[in-house]
Amino acid sequence: MLQLEDVSVSFGGIHALSNVTFGVEDASIVGLVGPNGAGKTTLFDAISGLVRLTKGEIRFNGRSLTNLAPHHRVRAGVGRSFQVPRPLRELTVRENLMVAQHFGGGSDDEATIDKLLVFLELNNRQHAMAATDLSLTQRKMLEIGKALATRPKLLMLDEVFAGLETAGKRSFSDLILRLAQEWKLSVVMIEHDIETISRLCQRVIVLDFGRLIADGTPETVFEDPAVVRSYTGAGTEDA
Amino acid sequence: MKTLLGVLCAVLAAASVAAIFHTNGYILGLFVAALTIAGVALAWALLGNLGGMISLGHAAFFGVGGYASAILAKSAGWPVLLAIPSAGVVAAMASLVMLPILRLRGAYFALAVLAYAEVFRILATEASGLTGGAAGLLSIPRIPSGVFGLSDGIVAYSLVVGLVVLLAVCYDRVRRSYSGLALRAMQDSEAATSVLGVPVFRLKATMLLLSAFATGVFGAFNAHVIGFLQPDYAFSGDWSILPMVAAIFGGYRTVTGPIVGAIAIYLLDQLVFKNLVPQGHQIVLGILLCAMILFSPRGLVPIITRGRSAVSKDKDARHVAA
Repeated sequence: MLQLEDVSVSFGGIHALSNVTFGVEDASIVGLVGPNGAGKTTLFDAISGLVRLTKGEIRFNGRSLTNLAPHHRVRAGVGRSFQVPRPLRELTVRENLMVAQHFGGGSDDEATIDKLLVFLELNNRQHAMAATDLSLTQRKMLEIGKALATRPKLLMLDEVFAGLETAGKRSFSDLILRLAQEWKLSVVMIEHDIETISRLCQRVIVLDFGRLIADGTPETVFEDPAVVRSYTGAGTEDA
Repeated sequence: MKTLLGVLCAVLAAASVAAIFHTNGYILGLFVAALTIAGVALAWALLGNLGGMISLGHAAFFGVGGYASAILAKSAGWPVLLAIPSAGVVAAMASLVMLPILRLRGAYFALAVLAYAEVFRILATEASGLTGGAAGLLSIPRIPSGVFGLSDGIVAYSLVVGLVVLLAVCYDRVRRSYSGLALRAMQDSEAATSVLGVPVFRLKATMLLLSAFATGVFGAFNAHVIGFLQPDYAFSGDWSILPMVAAIFGGYRTVTGPIVGAIAIYLLDQLVFKNLVPQGHQIVLGILLCAMILFSPRGLVPIITRGRSAVSKDKDARHVAA
């Protein structure tokens, strides 16, 4: 579905991503991990078109995304959320979803919005509320909801579990599993919690200083000495 | 329905003014000038409120519209009523050179537009073969009068009322559309909006073109009302500042705010402050604007709306108590 080949992104003299190559299969859940500053969010920005590639190519379902504007990538099926939820503050929850559905999904179907609100558990009074009045959990739900309203085939989630209580984490875990199993979406998720990654993801990709240093099942990746050194910081003294 | 009601109210109010002052050319002239400013204020708010781009250079579109219409009518012999909308198109085309600056934000955008306005003023001064240079254009054909035996003043007044109402309806339509929702959302975060599939640049460009077109039309209308143009007048900073002040005074987040603001400040200035303080009467206006920004940053219309809802709540409470 998604294929990155030799992707590099530089800001001035800083190499945020260097020669990153990997692919994502249909209906799979892939974890993207790495220490702070490893380039995870930059990778999402590169895939969604918010930053320009210095080198390399990104293909999605056989089509090159490299020179497409962000809105064209959305229409091709690439959806994403942000680490800090960015609701469209001037709008209500329903309007947030309507804008996403109209521009990204290419339709104006009220019934689909209603179903989405139920799916996100924002269907009580919340749908008419200003997006800014939602709780953190609800904002994160809305963040995913906006991406879903664009009818994506690939969903990139940036630290959706951060700051959530145990119950909230459980809700989001269930939701992500349903998206892959029932909605047949491919999910790439940035996450720091190894337990969550191990439970949800069939595959984990590790970045460090903008380079891909490991790619495999959670069991193999988290035992890789290079990953242990870079991601957890442990084992440095042994080396 | 709400829009239709608003249009009806505006037309009724305008007709009342015409009925009362149809013999008083001076007052009618003040209303024409106020509504011209209202039109530019509305066009400015279209870009400022919906597009999130604060412009300090709408005089550029106003001047280009004025000159284009004057040249088309005077030199090319076009009918005035055809030259006016065509001048809007010319102003919109002139705004195309501003597309690169749409990537700028905030003060950078405002200053870049200001610079463009200055460029157009210099062009109008230097292209003397076409524009008459610094001396300007005289004897610009007037708006056709004598329709149904109406006076010149009433014809110009009716035309400007029609243009303002039409622009207000268009503004309202855009504001309520999906594009309007997206434009409001873009002001928070263009990145967050673009990853929802919103063509950010295209929407901003559309708002710039619309705003330039509307401003150009009012510039053209003004040229045919006053009958002469000079670069320093047509591209004067007043045409950038006054509509902006009117829009902010009335409440630029509302459709009616710029119209109410323009009529209020222009008529207050000309009929009241000018009599009270003949020299430097604009100072009073400045103080009034400062007070408005301090005490009601959202403008005059929200104050009126709040007052009306408080009255209706009070009535409801008395009704329940009874």
